[in-house]
Amino acid sequence: MAFTLKINGTPHEVDVDGDTALLWVLRDVLGMTGTKFGCGQALCGACTVHLDGQPVRSCQTPVDSVGDGAITTIEAIGQGPQGAALQKAWLELEVVQCGYCQSGQIMSAAALLKDTPKPTDHDIDAAMSGNVCRCGTYQRIRAAIKHAAGV
Amino acid sequence: MDGPILRQRIADETAVSRRAILQGSGLLLGFALTGASTESVFAAPASWVVENEVTGTFAPNGFIRINPTGTVTLIMPMAEMGQGVYTALSMLLAEELEVGLDQIQVQHAPANDALYANSFLHIQTTGASSSVRAFWTSLRQAGAVGRNLLIAAAAKRWNVDPTTCHAKNGVVFNVSGSKHLSYGELAKAAAKLPVPPAASVRLKDPKDFTLIGTRAKRVDSSIKVDGRALYGIDARLPGMKVAAVAISPVLGGKVKTVNKAALAVKGVRQVVNIDEAVAVVADHMGAAKKGLEAAAITWDDGPNGKVSNADIVKQLEEESKKPGACCP
Repeated sequence: MAFTLKINGTPHEVDVDGDTALLWVLRDVLGMTGTKFGCGQALCGACTVHLDGQPVRSCQTPVDSVGDGAITTIEAIGQGPQGAALQKAWLELEVVQCGYCQSGQIMSAAALLKDTPKPTDHDIDAAMSGNVCRCGTYQRIRAAIKHAAGV
Repeated sequence: MDGPILRQRIADETAVSRRAILQGSGLLLGFALTGASTESVFAAPASWVVENEVTGTFAPNGFIRINPTGTVTLIMPMAEMGQGVYTALSMLLAEELEVGLDQIQVQHAPANDALYANSFLHIQTTGASSSVRAFWTSLRQAGAVGRNLLIAAAAKRWNVDPTTCHAKNGVVFNVSGSKHLSYGELAKAAAKLPVPPAASVRLKDPKDFTLIGTRAKRVDSSIKVDGRALYGIDARLPGMKVAAVAISPVLGGKVKTVNKAALAVKGVRQVVNIDEAVAVVADHMGAAKKGLEAAAITWDDGPNGKVSNADIVKQLEEESKKPGACCP
């Protein structure tokens, strides 16, 4: 079945079964590999994208549930003020190690800052608890979110 | 139960998984600049990690490529897995080559044991916390060879003694500093000079280090915050398909039945049955996984279907009593 997806401001036509996870459409059909496959079960957060500004796990988001929703991925999150500030903070505080989870981390953090521009530690922990990092960069992620938010 | 065959199978599979681990857990193969922009959009160091093989006008060894445009590419023999090895090895090279980390791009080396073997592990493999120790001398020598040749090229052009010249931040200066030539400007001339043996070049005294020992910024960060970094799972080849695989849950087991309904799943191209495993090949992983489910594979567990822990312990015990089972 054909779907027209609005991704990073551009319409993309894809012809897949409606129950196909958005993650595979992004990665395999459209070749946008910045969004990562981690667990495939919405447990790790690596595949996080925004749907109308809200963070969703693309591995558990069937393409037929997206409708006219605006999808934003890591490739374009830097075009918004929160994403740009976070990417800058990520570099200044040297958050990244292997980097595999960081697309998802930044997407979750960008959604947090959009709703909560001055988050507390508790806000950060609550918003980021679904994103795991095997390198254990959590302390720097939290510091970088605060740095980006100016708190 | 066929003991020897089971043992060999375990040995083979252990060897495979060990190799996979040594090669970097199969996670991080390389990086690329995708998209049109080659300029950093961040106020970050302008270091880059590039995917495509870089050739250089000036390429005195396996590790340095310098083009007349001034692009300095350092070739990384070890795999970056988050441990920071691209940055550490770049520091060794850049210290002696006399370039800043903000003046380089780095690129993963092609597979070549002769050029890039880890001197501790004797093959081109990354692990055992060995990278900096194994490359400590050789990369500094490689950088010093490059620096010496670039200085020699400048001295030749100025018709002065090379020992009166020095290099800093990718530029060679004469004794007074009144004349200078960039590495890019010198690349062609330096490429024509005979390359000295690595062991013959003089290395910097550690007290003169300006980069080694500093808290340098990672060279691989910027591509990891905007989705450009390419991991093994991100490799794409022209016309490439993906596959979801099911393997017999028991060693020595075989496929009994595969439901042809798998082929009817949209996006599925082929179902490959190799007796001990089935692969469903498709346009994307969503279709491959759906196809594998539709294949509803049933298995014949074969001779090992009823092996218990007690059987395995007993077998190991028997084998341990045979000559040669343990160290001499």
